[in-house]
Amino acid sequence: MECYPEKTNEFVMKRNVFLPSLFLLFGIASIAQSGLPAVDKSPMDMCYYPAQYPSLKTQDRITEPLTARVIYSRPKKEGRTIFGGVVEYGKLWRLGANEATEIEFYRPVIIAGKKIPKGRYTLFAIVNEKSWTFIINKETDVWGSFKYNQAKDVVRVIAPVQVLNEPVESLAMTFEKQNQSINLVIAWENVKVAMPVSL
Amino acid sequence: MKPTNKTPFLFVLTFLLAIACNETPEQQEPAEQKPKPDTSEKRQSEIMINPYASVDISPMDMSYFPVDYPKLKMANANIAPPVIRLIYSRPHLQRRALFNGILKYEEPWRLGANESSEITFYRSVTIQGKKIPAGRYIIYGIPRQDKWTIILNSNIDSWGLKQDSSKDIGRFDVPISTNGVSLEYFTMVFEKTDSGADLVIAWADVVARLPIKF
Repeated sequence: MECYPEKTNEFVMKRNVFLPSLFLLFGIASIAQSGLPAVDKSPMDMCYYPAQYPSLKTQDRITEPLTARVIYSRPKKEGRTIFGGVVEYGKLWRLGANEATEIEFYRPVIIAGKKIPKGRYTLFAIVNEKSWTFIINKETDVWGSFKYNQAKDVVRVIAPVQVLNEPVESLAMTFEKQNQSINLVIAWENVKVAMPVSL
Repeated sequence: MKPTNKTPFLFVLTFLLAIACNETPEQQEPAEQKPKPDTSEKRQSEIMINPYASVDISPMDMSYFPVDYPKLKMANANIAPPVIRLIYSRPHLQRRALFNGILKYEEPWRLGANESSEITFYRSVTIQGKKIPAGRYIIYGIPRQDKWTIILNSNIDSWGLKQDSSKDIGRFDVPISTNGVSLEYFTMVFEKTDSGADLVIAWADVVARLPIKF
């Protein structure tokens, strides 16, 4: 365990630092092949719409069909300035840590007026002070946002930033229903943003 | 992330928080609706402070085959699709004994915590001579003294383990061995073999291996 590299949560990593460190990482990993992976500093989590779907399913309490699932990793604030600091304004962010954030739709949905077929996608964001641009991209099973390819974008949607009174320590995501929309609510530091998804 | 020295303090702190939060509307958060054995784990974590989504005490993790596939893909955009992906949560011993503390022999176990552990085969594979079609499954196990039974089942997007054997895809007995070291965190990972990959299932000093051919 000790000699296996822990996954990084440096979600904003400069490319020139990144490539050499990648070689280093693989170098260590090949030496430590018999080792088993350590626990991530930014733990992974998932959220469903309907919220708590697996739990409801197991209790036979489902009232709405399975619609969406997000798998993301949860970095902590740990006293740092996140937005405009660790997450730079105007730059692409993986909306998490480690593996890129994955969003799956179990039925077709509509985002920014565009019909999105059911399936697995990668979710990124470009964060600004007043608004975020969410990006849904077709390239799945990827790490971070280092190889982001705009040609594989499915849709982009802009959502306003809401300021929170109480700071949120760990990046959090949850779906909230509003009329015919399910909003993917993302909260971290003192910011909350909702990506609208229409059914 | 070594779960050692701060544990007693954190435990007391989170316990106090749990009590404190009993008084607040936050206890209405969705985590409360989850089946009982899990909410008690949930209640011990950081979380209570996070009104949007609590942080699990047993963190979720993901294992691919090829190992570290997302990183490999980053280095080589033309890489072939992955073969397997496993998503599971990682409970930790926290000074408990694995057997007769956390698990019981002959009692089915979800191979993780919280959501059922999910395994996706991106193409068909063969396990102990049985062909498993590409797709998504849940995986659970029955630990026994001398072997473990590993079960693939089609009841995906479920929580914990409510056994429905009618949805079993296959049951596979695998031998166990003991590891020289004791692992604090439950660990599942793939290791390349000549004919495919082994799913290595390890916790405390017990290791089970499920050979997968493709």
